Amino acid sequence: MGLDRSSLAKIETGARRVTALELAQVAEALDERIEWFVEEAPPAIVSHRNVTDPGEPSPRIDREVELRARAVEFVSRHDPMLRKALDRLPVFSVPADKEEAEQLAHEARMLLGAEAEGPLKELGARVVRAGLVPFVADLGTESADAASVLLEAGAVAVVNGGLRVGRRRLSLAHELGHVLMADEYTVDWRIDGASTPDLREQLIDRFARALLLPESSFRDAWDRWLADKGARAAAVMAASCFRVDMSTLARRLLELEMVEGTQAAQVRTTRTTRADIVEHDLVVSDELGSGWLPRDYEAAVLRLFRSERVSGARALELLFGTWDAADLPELPQRNASAIWDFVS
Amino acid sequence: MNGDPGEELVVDTGPLSHLAEAGWLGVLRSVAGARKVVVPDAVEYELRRGASTRPHLQQVLGTEWISRSALDTPSENAAFAHFSAFLVSGGRNIGEAAVLAYAQVHGATAVIDDGAARRAAKEAKVRYTGTLGLLCEAVRAGFLTLAMVSSVADHLMETEYRLPFGPGEFEKWAQENGAV
Repeated sequence: MGLDRSSLAKIETGARRVTALELAQVAEALDERIEWFVEEAPPAIVSHRNVTDPGEPSPRIDREVELRARAVEFVSRHDPMLRKALDRLPVFSVPADKEEAEQLAHEARMLLGAEAEGPLKELGARVVRAGLVPFVADLGTESADAASVLLEAGAVAVVNGGLRVGRRRLSLAHELGHVLMADEYTVDWRIDGASTPDLREQLIDRFARALLLPESSFRDAWDRWLADKGARAAAVMAASCFRVDMSTLARRLLELEMVEGTQAAQVRTTRTTRADIVEHDLVVSDELGSGWLPRDYEAAVLRLFRSERVSGARALELLFGTWDAADLPELPQRNASAIWDFVS
Repeated sequence: MNGDPGEELVVDTGPLSHLAEAGWLGVLRSVAGARKVVVPDAVEYELRRGASTRPHLQQVLGTEWISRSALDTPSENAAFAHFSAFLVSGGRNIGEAAVLAYAQVHGATAVIDDGAARRAAKEAKVRYTGTLGLLCEAVRAGFLTLAMVSSVADHLMETEYRLPFGPGEFEKWAQENGAV
């Protein structure tokens, strides 16, 4: 890192001050940003840190959340359009029972600009309209499913890209629930766990299922597929059409009393095969896939780059390495009259 | 034109590299006149890093009238962090951020060419100029002629400044507009 032990010791004891160059070198070595040393983190992240046991290793998802929360705060501070989207985040009261959770899901669909019924596609792009900026980070299988944090304006969610597409969508729907209920900072280890004792979590799970599988259209489609093609095909087609995983589908069927326990267990263990994709003409989606970023966020970063508010290197970092330098637009030529700025 | 004593020019790696490559470090000294020419530690670091492949940078490092300054006061570090947020990623552009931080805290003039750095200077109300600005000053002061700076100016305008001027057009423009 270029900082020798004795310099480090002197800095630690306050015998000498740290230089800007050393700050830059330490930041690079720790893979952090220079401004993090002098600027406060978003308040929700600070209070989350304060309640985390100091001995406890910080889960990797906390770091991913902080990176993205700070990036969104930075971009929205300088891009009025993104800021406007974040300012839209409303606050709802916490549902008291499953009916209220269903009702909240209905209202959330309106908020996302979706029809009241039918599959809810492109969830990642839609939640930005409600003021939630979602990200996907590959955290592997041993990490949390998702997390969300409220910012001064809007919120950020991180979904584990190691999950399958249906679970990624469910996780994001779940985080949307937290955010709409103004939960400051949430890490969800297993969303829709078989028997979470926490009523609030149960209701948010219900909200998430109702958001993705709205009762009326789901019921109609299920009945039709069941009558035409039988239970297994109905499960495969429902999971594909509504883009949910089998376990979510089974739970929804049960809670709407559309199937009995044994049928639900069969749905849960159903696997969509390659033959299913061909024979039922299914559309394979990779929503919220690895490297995906919400379009509105990408557009905001590009606006900062085009207006030269940020350097190309910084723009690429704000895009989390999902873009190459060659992907950035070429900056346009200036007007001839701009020459006066350069000769004086 | 040559500035008051006490004023300072704080110069980024890019402009130093352009000037040294053209053999005009002496011109920088003349243009600076009574003003002190300063290089922050981060720029010195970038010069050292680049010197193995670009020998003219070594020449800058050996120039005794350029003062080195390590940014280490709380206000310098805070300003450095502020500009870093717009410009720096990994080890890139730390020189620019340091130049702007020094200029802001010490009321110096930043010598920078990059568009994002110039925009950051403007937003922060930091005085700035670039390589071409210095060369024009040199022509006005009689240290260089318009013909001498013409090709460097053309090159800068085409590449770094993205100005719609073809080869030879700077010289023509400057004569017509009495800019130098």
